Amino acid sequence: MQNALRTIGAGILVLLAFVALIAPASAALRVDVTQGNIQPLPIAIPDFNTAEPGESAGQNIAGVVRADLGRSGIFRPLDPKSFLEQAKDINVPPGFANWRVINAQALVTGQALMQPDGRLRVDFRLWDIYGETQMLGLQYFTAPENWRRIAHMISDAIYQRITGEKGYFDTRIVFISESGPLTNRRKRLAVIDEDGANPIFLTRGDYLVLTPRFNPTAQMIAYLSYIGGKPRVYLFDLETGRQQMLGDFPNMTFSPRFSPNGNKVVMTLEKNGNSDIYVMDLRTRAVTRLTTDPAIDTSPCYSPDGSQIVFESDRGGAQQIYVMNADGSNVRRISFGGGKNGTPVWSPRGDLIAFTKQEGSTFRIGVMRPDGSGERLLTNGWEDEGPTWAPNGRVLMFGRTLRGGRGSQIWSIDVTGRNEQKVITPGDASDPAWSPLIQ
Amino acid sequence: MGVVGSLALHGAIIAATLFTFSHRLDIIDQSSPVVPVDLVSLSAKTNVTATVRPAPRIEPQVSPAPPSPAPAPVPVQAPPPQPESEATPPRDAAEAIEKPPTAVPKARPQQAMKDENKKFDVDNVLALLNKVAPAASRTNARTAERTVRGIGDQNAMTADLQALLLSEIRACWSPPVGAPHPEDLVVDFDVFLNPDGSVARPPQLLAQSSSSSGDPYFRAAAEAARRAIYTCAPYKLPGDRYSQWREIGDFRFDPRQMMGD
Repeated sequence: MQNALRTIGAGILVLLAFVALIAPASAALRVDVTQGNIQPLPIAIPDFNTAEPGESAGQNIAGVVRADLGRSGIFRPLDPKSFLEQAKDINVPPGFANWRVINAQALVTGQALMQPDGRLRVDFRLWDIYGETQMLGLQYFTAPENWRRIAHMISDAIYQRITGEKGYFDTRIVFISESGPLTNRRKRLAVIDEDGANPIFLTRGDYLVLTPRFNPTAQMIAYLSYIGGKPRVYLFDLETGRQQMLGDFPNMTFSPRFSPNGNKVVMTLEKNGNSDIYVMDLRTRAVTRLTTDPAIDTSPCYSPDGSQIVFESDRGGAQQIYVMNADGSNVRRISFGGGKNGTPVWSPRGDLIAFTKQEGSTFRIGVMRPDGSGERLLTNGWEDEGPTWAPNGRVLMFGRTLRGGRGSQIWSIDVTGRNEQKVITPGDASDPAWSPLIQ
Repeated sequence: MGVVGSLALHGAIIAATLFTFSHRLDIIDQSSPVVPVDLVSLSAKTNVTATVRPAPRIEPQVSPAPPSPAPAPVPVQAPPPQPESEATPPRDAAEAIEKPPTAVPKARPQQAMKDENKKFDVDNVLALLNKVAPAASRTNARTAERTVRGIGDQNAMTADLQALLLSEIRACWSPPVGAPHPEDLVVDFDVFLNPDGSVARPPQLLAQSSSSSGDPYFRAAAEAARRAIYTCAPYKLPGDRYSQWREIGDFRFDPRQMMGD
């Protein structure tokens, strides 16, 4: 009997010991990483395979993809000379170990094949080198001369898969191209691809043109022109090359901008020295007045959901940023950070408003949340102004005037304030506007 | 008496079960007194787990059939026609500007050199990947000496391990900056390490962090963390305390402090 009890006691003891041993194990090691090292992702992009070795399409497409991703600052395309392996067949998983040796974390393999019907077929696969899996595989058909757009679309697809964010490489920039002596500048409306390729001039430069703005849903531009000496808003259709006047207002019109669905244009009309914000419905051409303040209200821009409008006004004494409902109600000031603040632009993502801050004689680009909090200045130029968002709300372009009349340029910068870069334009350029992703 | 006998036998059976169980684990665990128990519920719905699956799953695609699972049709006549008004001068400019896209590797002559590098590097990686290198990783025993022994609290004993891991992973993790709502991008992984500090098996995303696992931003954040876990290996941790860092039950990556500068 006593033996039995002792056995039971021992059993309980063992059980207790077992529980005691388990307890610390379940409190397994826990590490809370809050600090990182922001660095571009090393990605290997060999030339795409072609049917005949040396065909240019394979090199060209891979070259543009490398340039796109490298320019984003989020990727670091590796030098093809360092590759240990040539991806001969893109339908076979690559030798992942060979790519780990050169520290690639992602790999793009692709091929560009001419089809019997004269079209170009481009396939690519994105591989996760450490996870040893395919992350993405897509195929495109196009006319061979469109290879550059296919390359941009591939860049967009890779960017989106890695960052979770839509890309912006298959887009265009409209801007004012400036040439000639400072006293007699010739200003022309011009368009380039996002990487600076394919520049096209849309107007001859006989008339002053200002503030071009893209329709967010189509390849259509609204801009201001002084044809006949009167500033009016015109629409330019990139697809057809047609240009039309938005309406023959009896007064001056400025700073046009499309609504997110492209059906309306919000703008400034000046009447008897008083500028207010009006909206025009493009289908009915009906015009509605939104502000009635005696101060100058201008530079309106819709929120991406179309429910609100941000604009600048000097109703408080100096130029500041205000937000109102789309019907003109509930006006409130959001910029309090000092200096003058103007040219607000709502991010297509909705989370930020970019603006130009003037302090003393310097103009800088900043962002703030729609409630005015979290103000951050991104650039540190002498005269940076007129921000425009990439369609993914991740990158900004702006005009930069160099000190001492040394010209004007377009620059881009990441919304985090990193990766400031000059945009390649033919000659001097100002007042950029970023297109939506091309449909 | 029969009752007592029955109790005794039950006790013996329980005891025997426990002993054999822990014994079996001891062998696996190389004499660790700690019985690892995985009570982690794994995320069922995240995309990340899918990408973690071993490569063989892709092999079927070796077939010569068109590769793409999701062909993206493309407007064949993509670039819109240029406005007639003034297309000519700019086209010239276009050609001037449009330089041959980036460096084309014309390194054929250097092939021999490349091959040498290749062999050299391959050897290197084999050595790196070779899991029989525990001796090397044991060199970092500095922290073991200043461990507060006798306190008996697991946290006190592993605080230095946490610091070591943090100092290593910090350099490898490139957080998903610039994404909206960083508070939704905190990811937790369960990581098992080999004695040589390499990653023992694909890190598993913990369910607690996968509330928004369908979100592409979240997937990107989780993949960035997973890349960090892999690229930082092998971890240099005191080899004699392997039982304490064999599993990092919650490897949490929190990008909130890294956003917006």
